[in-house]
Amino acid sequence: MDDIIFQPLRFRNLTVKNRIFRSNISGRFDNFDGSGSNTRLNWEEKFARGGVGAILSSFVAVSIHGRIMPNYATIDSDDKIPFWREVGNRVHAHDCRFILQLSHSGRQQDVPGVENQFRKPLSSTGSIELFDGFVPQMMSREDIRQTIHDFGQGARRAREAGLDGVETHSANGYLFTQFLSSGINNRKDEYGGSLENRARFLLEAIAEIRKQVGDDFHVQVKINGNDYGNAVFPWEGKGNTVEDTIQICRWLEEAGVDAVHISGGSSFPHPFNPPGGFPVDWALRTFDVMLSSGIYTFRRYVIFRYRLLRPIFNFFWNRNKPDIVEGINADVARQIKSHLKIPVLVTGGFQTASIIRRYIGEGYCDAVSIARALVANNDLVKIFASGKDIPDRPCTHCNKCLVNAIKNPLGCYELSRFDGDYDRMIEEVMSVFHPSPFDPVPAEGGD
Amino acid sequence: MAEPLTPIEQTGRSMAARVVVVLVMLVYILGLFLFRRFNPNFPVVYTPIEDHFKYGSIGSEAATGPVADGIPYWIWRVLPDMFPDKLSGNGYASFGFVFEPGQDVPIGFGRRRVYIDRLGMNCAICHTGTVRDTPGSTPRIYLGMPANTFDMQSYLRFLIACVSDSRFTADNVVRAIKARTSLDPLETLVYQQAVYATREVLLERAGQLSFMSSRPDWGPGRVDTFNPYKTVQFNFPMDNDHSVGATDLPSIWNQAPRIGMHLHWDGNNDLLEERDKSAALGAGVTPVTIDLKSIQRVEDWLLDGLQAPKYPYAIDENLAAQGAAVYKSHCGGCHDFGSAYVGKVTPIEEIGTDRGRLDSYTYDFAANMNLLYAGYPWRFTHFRKTNGYANMPLDGVWLRAPYLHNGSVPTLRDLLEDPAARPKTFYRGYDVYDRTKAGFVSDVSQENGRKYFLYDTALPGNGNGGHLYGTQLSPGEKDALVEYMKKL
Repeated sequence: MDDIIFQPLRFRNLTVKNRIFRSNISGRFDNFDGSGSNTRLNWEEKFARGGVGAILSSFVAVSIHGRIMPNYATIDSDDKIPFWREVGNRVHAHDCRFILQLSHSGRQQDVPGVENQFRKPLSSTGSIELFDGFVPQMMSREDIRQTIHDFGQGARRAREAGLDGVETHSANGYLFTQFLSSGINNRKDEYGGSLENRARFLLEAIAEIRKQVGDDFHVQVKINGNDYGNAVFPWEGKGNTVEDTIQICRWLEEAGVDAVHISGGSSFPHPFNPPGGFPVDWALRTFDVMLSSGIYTFRRYVIFRYRLLRPIFNFFWNRNKPDIVEGINADVARQIKSHLKIPVLVTGGFQTASIIRRYIGEGYCDAVSIARALVANNDLVKIFASGKDIPDRPCTHCNKCLVNAIKNPLGCYELSRFDGDYDRMIEEVMSVFHPSPFDPVPAEGGD
Repeated sequence: MAEPLTPIEQTGRSMAARVVVVLVMLVYILGLFLFRRFNPNFPVVYTPIEDHFKYGSIGSEAATGPVADGIPYWIWRVLPDMFPDKLSGNGYASFGFVFEPGQDVPIGFGRRRVYIDRLGMNCAICHTGTVRDTPGSTPRIYLGMPANTFDMQSYLRFLIACVSDSRFTADNVVRAIKARTSLDPLETLVYQQAVYATREVLLERAGQLSFMSSRPDWGPGRVDTFNPYKTVQFNFPMDNDHSVGATDLPSIWNQAPRIGMHLHWDGNNDLLEERDKSAALGAGVTPVTIDLKSIQRVEDWLLDGLQAPKYPYAIDENLAAQGAAVYKSHCGGCHDFGSAYVGKVTPIEEIGTDRGRLDSYTYDFAANMNLLYAGYPWRFTHFRKTNGYANMPLDGVWLRAPYLHNGSVPTLRDLLEDPAARPKTFYRGYDVYDRTKAGFVSDVSQENGRKYFLYDTALPGNGNGGHLYGTQLSPGEKDALVEYMKKL
């Protein structure tokens, strides 16, 4: 097959069968304490079955202190290794690779969970986050040393679990972004100030990961092409630009990183990521779970709650939002790729085979990662393989999945894709819970 | 044990506390701003005692209720702009006020912020006068001297006429003020209300003073001390009271030797402090608004500081020496400090001067006056009804013309004439000094547009009879006596 989408992608230590990666996404499917669940196995396997070349796991916290919310499987201790080994087994059965995303929330801790209730989240800064009002604690050198150690141990566990690689989550406003971004990092020590200093924490973490997993294990980095830090509030710092990111990626390449994965936006969510709509009505129904998490969350809830106030949110959210959805980060990826030898992945609204083909073919990137379009059509790759350019019922990029994820099982909540049949939509969402160990008869997968 | 707070709760509380602190500070700053701007009782204070006497507030502008008695400064300023038709001359100067260079109000007006700046009269309004050597000279100002040029009755009538005029509306007044100064919207609002409040106060005063129209005009340098007092302080019915109490304004210097003397022309009180507080009521304070501290400053200065001014012109010392002997034998017994009769009341039958002022002060009135300041340690207790006029010390007598209690005799030399030979009519309010006869030139009817007041001794209360002491002296002795009295 000549189709570039279906050409294998060879990394230094890993080969992936095609150029479609499932991007980092999961729901609150796991146990509260970070141990994995059968539902998560179902969740990951269905994408592998759908034909993606590799799965980039969702946010996997390297410590309980660094999670974004409970019910996401973590990799903070060795007793989590068997679960991840099982995830790998399920995925590998479909000739799909599994790359675990090593993550730390930093201050962007949407629901801290009872274990974290009485301690502040760690960050590069002690400044209160402006969107939700998360109140962080500036990390000491000891905190930094410990967190680097946690990343190293997370990588070691991933390898011991037989997974195919790790990715540090250094994008979208989480802990590494909080260090990298000039719009957030206000430290005066060797981890703040110059770009070199701001990148020090990530580079030290990469070094520790390499030390733990050796040189023959796939290590990649997810990073913002642009931070767009002042996209919502003009009084916030703009943060890093693509020029800064290119320099960081060069240092990462020198440090032995095998690939970079380009995203954008200094927070999550962000008008640039995931690109598309913001379903305020749905947000109002789910945002209540975050009310006690930040000092500005109630303000945001009130703005969602009263229609007369929504224009305030819409003004700030939409004032810089680009029209483009599919390939929103492609041009930035191209600029970065032109300075690197290692492969470049890019995420952001991909769903159309011809577009993906063109970007890869024209050297914007080596592969694309997709989350929402795959949630809508788990078998998107097979649809491409069948010769279709776009699914019959494509993802609308409405982001209802996004705002439901904090409270409800993750799935596609776009009613129009189910012909207005709400029950059918919910049935589809709930399908992730099956097969369950207690199902009398396996629902599928009996082969 | 109390459960700990989460970091979010702690931060939320500390931010809420900060918001409260900021709000409290904003309210405080706003309050301070409004208080500074619209202070309900904030007098302008002067450190030098002379300035305090001339321009300090004694409380006549303050408020006894929702309405302050003081005239809002800017309303006062624009009345001559709005009603030039009600003035006989050039602005407020036509009432004989004493203006100093660089001052926007005349001597005798204190200023106090009662929501807005207001003017009220003080002691100096009646006790500061001027002397000119010649018509072309610059007036010399003498503090403590009778206000020889000031026509209080005309001034009051002017104010009442202004507020009674249909042109006296909030819009017109504010427009006139804005022609002179800028008012912000808040001040404009306050001034609009103040226009009507000022009218109410002055119309009430007009009603209380309506009896004045049935009595001879006071003229400059004179005031009917107690009849307005009866109506303003006590609402006395004046239907059956036809007394005429207009008297000459007195000097107020050198008060220490006067302690214990019977004060006021009829000697109705022998306590300085009561006399002073009573006079303050006449200037517009009320028992509630009186600024005792301010008045005390003035009293202390009058007791020990302010002395009678020396006669500034040449004196024929030989002639004066002859006059000294005459004075000793004919005058000193009643008028010298330390003499047997000084500060005591001489019965009306004996002194024989016009009895209008004496009769205007009644037993009923004295009894009512002794109720003033009830409930305070300084309640009046010394007022009494007398049967004559008190013998005044003659310090600085050269500046106290015209003479007798009602100012019915223009000069000292005239006073030594038999009543029949004293001037029947003369002009008051002119301040050029007559060095020969010792008094003010009294035959000038007008000068530079200002008309002077023709005093007619034939009118009720204006009689120039009595006090025959010295009238039998020879012309030479009289001249000598006058020459000597210039030195007192």
